[in-house]
Amino acid sequence: MARKYWKGLEELKETPEFIKHKENEFPSQQTVEAFLSSDNLDETSTGRRDFLKFLGFSVAAATLAACEAPVTKAVPYVVKPEHVTPGMPTWYASTYYDGSSYASILVKTREGRPIFIKGNKDFGLTKGAVNPQIIASILGLYDSARLTGPMEKGNSVSWATVDGSITKSLKSAKSVTLLSNTIISPTLQKQINDMSMTLSANGQTFNHIQYDAVSYSAIRNANAQNFGAAVIPSYNFSKAQTIVSIGADFLGTWLLATEYTKQYGLTRNPDSKSMSKHFQFESFMSLAGSNADYRAMAKPSEYAAVLSYLIKGLNGKCAVKSDLDSATKKIADQALLSLKSSKAKSLVVCGSNNTGLQLLTNQLNQLLGAYGTTIDLSNDLKLFKSDDAKVITLAADVISGKGPDALMFLGVNPVYSLPNGEAFGKALKNIKTSISFAAYSDETASLCTYICPDHHALETWADYMPTNNHYAIAQPTIRPLHDTASIIETFSVWAGKSIRLGKDSQTAYNLVKENYEKRFPMGDFAYSTHNSCEAITGEVNTLTAFKEGNVTNLPASSDLEVILYQKSAIGDGRQANNPWLQEMPDPITKATWDNYITMNPVEMKSQGFVTTYDQEHGLSLATVTVNGNKVTLPVYPLPGQALKTIGIAVGYGRGANGEVIGKAAFQTKEYGGHAVDANGTLKPIGVNVFRFVSNENGCLNYDVIGKLSKEEGSYSIAATQIHHTVMARHSIVRETTLPIFTQKGKEAYNPAHTLQKLNSEGHHEEVPNSEFDLWDAHPVEKIGHRWGMTVDLSSCIGCGSCLIACQSENNVPVVGKDEVRRGREMHWLRIDRYFASDEEATIGQRKDKDTFSYDKAEIAAENPKVIHMPMMCHHCNHAPCETVCPVAATTHSNEGLNQMAYNRCIGTRYCANNCPYKVRRFNWFNYPSYKKFTEVNPAQDDLGRMVLNPDVTVRTRGVMEKCSFCVQRIQATKLVAKKESRTIQDGEFATACSDACPTNAIVVGDWNDVKSAVYSSSKNDRAYQALEEIGVKPNVWYKVKVRNEENDLLASLQVAKTPAHHEEKKAHH
Amino acid sequence: MKISNIQKIKRMPSKFIFVFSLLVFLSPSISFADGGGNFKAKCSSCHQPHKNGTGPKLFQARQKWSTGGAKEGSIYQWVNNWQTAAANDPYAAGVSKWSATAMNAFPELSKVQIDEILDWVDAQPDPATAGPANGAPVVDVDPASSEEGGNTWLWIILSTMFIIIILSVGGVRRQLKISTGESTPNDNLTYTEEFKAWAWKYRLPVGLGTLVIFLSLIVTLFQGLGRINVVENYQPSQPIAFPHDKHAGVNGIDCKYCHNSVTKSKSAGIPTVNVCMNCHKQINGEGKPYAAEVKKIYSAAGYDPTGSGKYTGNTKPILWNKVHVLPDHVYFNHSQHVVVGGIDCKQCHGDMTKMSEAVKVQPVEELNKIEGNIKLSKPTLTMGWCIECHGAKEVSLGDGKNGYYDEIHRRLRDNDKSLYKKYLKDGKVTVSELGGWECAKCHY
Repeated sequence: MARKYWKGLEELKETPEFIKHKENEFPSQQTVEAFLSSDNLDETSTGRRDFLKFLGFSVAAATLAACEAPVTKAVPYVVKPEHVTPGMPTWYASTYYDGSSYASILVKTREGRPIFIKGNKDFGLTKGAVNPQIIASILGLYDSARLTGPMEKGNSVSWATVDGSITKSLKSAKSVTLLSNTIISPTLQKQINDMSMTLSANGQTFNHIQYDAVSYSAIRNANAQNFGAAVIPSYNFSKAQTIVSIGADFLGTWLLATEYTKQYGLTRNPDSKSMSKHFQFESFMSLAGSNADYRAMAKPSEYAAVLSYLIKGLNGKCAVKSDLDSATKKIADQALLSLKSSKAKSLVVCGSNNTGLQLLTNQLNQLLGAYGTTIDLSNDLKLFKSDDAKVITLAADVISGKGPDALMFLGVNPVYSLPNGEAFGKALKNIKTSISFAAYSDETASLCTYICPDHHALETWADYMPTNNHYAIAQPTIRPLHDTASIIETFSVWAGKSIRLGKDSQTAYNLVKENYEKRFPMGDFAYSTHNSCEAITGEVNTLTAFKEGNVTNLPASSDLEVILYQKSAIGDGRQANNPWLQEMPDPITKATWDNYITMNPVEMKSQGFVTTYDQEHGLSLATVTVNGNKVTLPVYPLPGQALKTIGIAVGYGRGANGEVIGKAAFQTKEYGGHAVDANGTLKPIGVNVFRFVSNENGCLNYDVIGKLSKEEGSYSIAATQIHHTVMARHSIVRETTLPIFTQKGKEAYNPAHTLQKLNSEGHHEEVPNSEFDLWDAHPVEKIGHRWGMTVDLSSCIGCGSCLIACQSENNVPVVGKDEVRRGREMHWLRIDRYFASDEEATIGQRKDKDTFSYDKAEIAAENPKVIHMPMMCHHCNHAPCETVCPVAATTHSNEGLNQMAYNRCIGTRYCANNCPYKVRRFNWFNYPSYKKFTEVNPAQDDLGRMVLNPDVTVRTRGVMEKCSFCVQRIQATKLVAKKESRTIQDGEFATACSDACPTNAIVVGDWNDVKSAVYSSSKNDRAYQALEEIGVKPNVWYKVKVRNEENDLLASLQVAKTPAHHEEKKAHH
Repeated sequence: MKISNIQKIKRMPSKFIFVFSLLVFLSPSISFADGGGNFKAKCSSCHQPHKNGTGPKLFQARQKWSTGGAKEGSIYQWVNNWQTAAANDPYAAGVSKWSATAMNAFPELSKVQIDEILDWVDAQPDPATAGPANGAPVVDVDPASSEEGGNTWLWIILSTMFIIIILSVGGVRRQLKISTGESTPNDNLTYTEEFKAWAWKYRLPVGLGTLVIFLSLIVTLFQGLGRINVVENYQPSQPIAFPHDKHAGVNGIDCKYCHNSVTKSKSAGIPTVNVCMNCHKQINGEGKPYAAEVKKIYSAAGYDPTGSGKYTGNTKPILWNKVHVLPDHVYFNHSQHVVVGGIDCKQCHGDMTKMSEAVKVQPVEELNKIEGNIKLSKPTLTMGWCIECHGAKEVSLGDGKNGYYDEIHRRLRDNDKSLYKKYLKDGKVTVSELGGWECAKCHY
């Protein structure tokens, strides 16, 4: 019996469509025969003779045109900046903060324009970890929809005009309110304080309210009750031996996920002494949940019971009921066992914004003694200071006409993200002076009197204090592209302390530096800027001893609980106009360009929803009603979704009234252009479900109660899930459990592939695969370099950072929803998500083909295990693609690389057909110029083109492309070593994906250097090669995924099988 | 850009621009090899023998110093470190006020070397008095190519005449036959029919001839196709008539002084205007034919040469026309070739010290004439040309000169002796044997 891995229900159930399409890697809409036999063909206006004439003319014209050398201009600098060498990158250390994501970053610039962002591994809080949103934010800099200067009532005006009228209005306003996202910049905070003081001195009232669209105020509330300080503590996942997460996606979007991802990665190495045990109780299959060792499905209303069960299990007192169903109880018992053994080295986190649940979480952590080890209350997190109660009051005031005279919006978009945003937007016109600092004329800004656009994060100076003990600096990497102004300068000007100095203003720089010098009298600003950060001791929180809180208002149970979650690419929607992020497949659902209702397929089946889909067949629609608000969305089958719950992602439906927020934020038509509704308004992508957010006990609540009703019609989803199937060859992913890994040998969990051959005595003998070869060995094994990669499936969490980094580094085009739906996405690196169910259903092994039922398999698949597997070109030393290319466009290098010469390629696609890993991508269209991609592909925009990496060719129509192992980086690394007359140091070469990986799951290097990390990693007992049995000798190794769990099934499969195998062998001899 | 700027591909490369007097001018340098070399390497970016530049002219500088009342040996101290000299010698202090631009220190130059430099400088004839040297008309005639061109026309005329002669002779014969009654009655055929009959009669030679003509047409077609996008002799006009021969030749400025990113980056770099201004702040060319060209630099740099000489800040970049244009799908790195490969600029760009007009892509025949160049046959800037060189150029391995290649050598020697021997069959390990012919070395 083999474990069955499947990518989608279509594969598991083998729907006829699936069977049909898996044979056809490049689905085309119409066959050639059908096209030629069509009657319409005769009615075409171009006759055959005309066609040949045109053909002849165009060939002649093209030939003539090719004879003339076009004139290319070369424009050198007039005065070259000191640190810029044309053709060489310049790196800047900086800090990224957008209100929800935070990371210490390095920005690569070429000839003064930023083209790539990666994590700063040497300095900073996040130690090199980034997320897809941060890497993709570079594209936002070059968005042509950004405002190019200040606006007054929809008209472009000068800064002088705006400053004049705003200072006048502010002076006359009785009350001024600033609604901002969480401010963690000390310098900006000082400007706000200055303004507050100036206004108060005039007898005016000034309010500063901080508001996060996705709020974590319940954690602050709970800590205020328990410890007397409304703080969010620092969590240290790297110190935790047991991690219990109650609905917190701490690897995706929860709090400072970038830092937690890094810490989590450190504890997930099965080769080290201790590997953490991760329990997840959640309703929606989150990124964290997919990586858990044990995952239980629980509705939000059951979270309290889970916490209570654990508290009681640890001999704590809890008034909350602790009734659990048997499946959850089994896992809760396991969690208890683990918690009891790890005690203080445990960490319990809860993702709900319900104060009661957070109080229970705190109680559990207190019982365990986690405070002081895994939780640090004194070095608290300064992010997410949303004051939900005040926000709700402000919104109500504005709507009822009691709003302030002047209202400013900084980094927030309440018209989009407030539950009553629509009414709020309508009431905004009653505010005398409304000012937005948004970079786009977005939902809120477009309704404001003034828009004073702030710089893009890469254009401005700023300082940040993400935690109490960390001070970070953000430096500009490019001169502002447009006539925008730093918010620091704007506030300073309005307070009358500075004057407007335009694009090259140094006001923000001076103020940040001044602030720095005050904090670090002995510091060197240039040095700190180079490092991007400094350690600091902030104000000390006065904490009281743990005091039990008043647990009330716990989530109520209902027949349909709706979870509003954030996708790791889109988040709260602030980058909804970013085509890279829109096209990034969701780590779990693998869907792109949409939000949808996620529901357990078991439940879907009983309610009559379609549970399978493909490029031609869509999903059923349903309407969800919450609090009188209705949305209609497709229903997506998501195994692992708790029964009686559904999940919907926030962050979609941006620009619902056609606000100018960027081309890629809207739906496009099949042959290009935006889709419009009956009124001619652009159609947004997905639907905004922030309207569902409820106010519970002064907190914005994201787990709500609703009703679901089926709708007619179907909706096509563009998912990468059902493409690139594994064709039932299940030697691709390997997993085991920690007990098997530590107690048994390699044979049990990672047996070598063997084949039989006759030995000298004429007996059959099992020998390793490698002894059979059709071809001579490539001379890459020992001489020169041999570039290799290992991917540790235990560390890989499937976050997608590598995918976006690859897209950014290698100029991978964006193709839009319609093309993704057709299976023509261009990502060089994909992350395969395999669900693992326990039932055998492999083709050819079924006992009774006709009566075999998948029902059993489906029940097992209700809460499946998940494996994330990054898949890119394996650079096989016996590459099947190379042998079939008729023009030798893809060849092997003596460094083990499978090279692709685009200009040689004639597009036969034989190579892609012959690739066992299905990693080759064909350019069906001229993505940089064809009108279909104008809205989605940034390379079609004069400004968007600036983001392209000049060291990588932009491919044209009709050629194949694929992962090159970032050959441009290999060449650059070699050149540096050659110029410095030294060997290449291990770790010096990194591909974009390995650079971006927050958990260091991807290791690359020179395999011929026996001291290299990649060599030792590939010799690890867990190392195996995907599809090793076909003998293509790839240069990529995977390492077996190890789950820290007891699993009888795996044990029976892996442990029981091994001796039997031996016996069989002996018997044969 | 219009056709006028889609530049005329000059058919007449100036192969021999040997201005006689220039030879005379250069010949004495042989006897002062060290002095001349050091002058060019260290001094020539600011100093000229007979003309003030960024620094004053150096002709008979020693005499000037001693007659001016400088202390004995003060001039050598000056060269080593002018500030020391200025502190010790009032004359030197006076010299330091000659210009606001401070002179570099050359502590590495010994007294002997300085003397050599100054000896060499003193031996240079003043071009202003040397007569025809500067004013000599440039002989821009290429006998070889004009002959070649003439040949083609000659052949065309000759063959046309030949065909006409054959046809007329044939016609005359035919008329003769008819008039003499030699032709039979049923011979009253049209020309076509007659030709067919004739071709059939002599089918073997006619068939072979047709085959030969057909094959040669095919060959010509493919050769013609092979010339598409061959940019040899491409010579676009430039916004400023920049004479490389004056800068790199006469003044001996090192290529890397202006193209300074050639050792660091993939692009050699077109000098930025501030680099031009290092020298041209002084050399304004007043009264010279090239004054107008220098003014263009001033306008680009936003420099006002009149009065006190100030930068207005009103700069405008110079739009040069790129001469050596590689397609976008080719990655070429200058520093790889110059620093690692040790290739001289001349190998690909030709002898720039003799290029008096706008730069052009030198045809491969020209490049082959330069001493020290690897001889190639394929047209310049084609892939064949690159490949040929990669197949010929030796990589020095295991000689301790480059730690990177020493390691590659060690792996090759220790791990695959037979392959190493195969490589060494021709006595060297070439770039191609180390992978220099692989696609992804230049295409990615």
